[in-house]
Amino acid sequence: MAFRKIDIDALEEDAFGEDEIDFQEIGELRPLADVEAQVNSRAQEVRSLLQRGNTSGALSTSLQNPPYGAPFHAAKARNTQTVMEVLNSIKVADVPQLVKSLSPEEQDVLMKYLYAGMAAPEQNNSGHLLAWHEKLTEVAGQGCIVRVITDRRTV
Amino acid sequence: MSNTLRPYLNAVRQTLTAAMCLENFSSQVAERHNKPEVEVRASKEVLLNPVVISRNDKERVLIETSVNSLRVSIAIKQADEIERILAHKFTRFLTQRAESFVILRRKPIEGYDISFLITNAHTEQMYKHKLVDFIIQFMEEVDKEISEMKLSLNARARIVSESYLSQFN
Repeated sequence: MAFRKIDIDALEEDAFGEDEIDFQEIGELRPLADVEAQVNSRAQEVRSLLQRGNTSGALSTSLQNPPYGAPFHAAKARNTQTVMEVLNSIKVADVPQLVKSLSPEEQDVLMKYLYAGMAAPEQNNSGHLLAWHEKLTEVAGQGCIVRVITDRRTV
Repeated sequence: MSNTLRPYLNAVRQTLTAAMCLENFSSQVAERHNKPEVEVRASKEVLLNPVVISRNDKERVLIETSVNSLRVSIAIKQADEIERILAHKFTRFLTQRAESFVILRRKPIEGYDISFLITNAHTEQMYKHKLVDFIIQFMEEVDKEISEMKLSLNARARIVSESYLSQFN
């Protein structure tokens, strides 16, 4: 495409945009403040569940209704941090049974967060995430990975 | 250290196997062209989410998928200056002979040391599991190779310096 300086296809009306899909697929456009409030309240809820030792509750709570879409950068980062806190506080030996107790949708969301965590190895413990990834793939199969790669609703 | 190598390679293997679902797909932009979409990036709808698998902040693998092509980029462990030089020389040696490796990309993606580009033509010609095995084996071997080269380099340097300094005895 070296000889064409202007991408004329982008000007077409039904051109494929980065941001629009997220909301079309969810079917709702949530205001920014709502999403951030939800993410923050969930972070607190998850932390209190963790303090009470309810790891399975904390895990499934942290995977509910994650923020999708381009405008929610801060909320996404915050939610990833919440999920990472939960994952780090769970021992590797408990992982298989916890993963089995999740619903298929939750497993997909968890896989998304595992890849999101591994993309930032400075902040997260990659070795632990790799152990999670292995156990989750054993239970959910490769379909789970394919859904993460193809889903436009990235976390 | 090798206890994190196995899950790392395992994760790469599973992700590659999942991502390697390629089919013939002509360009939507230029008629009668057929090019790897992951390289040209002309139409966004055929590009899938890139994923990173990391073992630590030095060693990581980036897998970018599209409808007809797949790009795997590997960052090799480089603990010190010698390893950095050796890894650079080694990958340079390979990429200059990219034709004989079929799926090797001539230039690595920025931030990574070596890249592979697998297109639908490759998956049609070759077995998918063998392609995955090749990349996994490459990742296994490259660390071993570089640490071996480092050892022999150090041994050689020691011998050279000994024989050089012995004449001053």
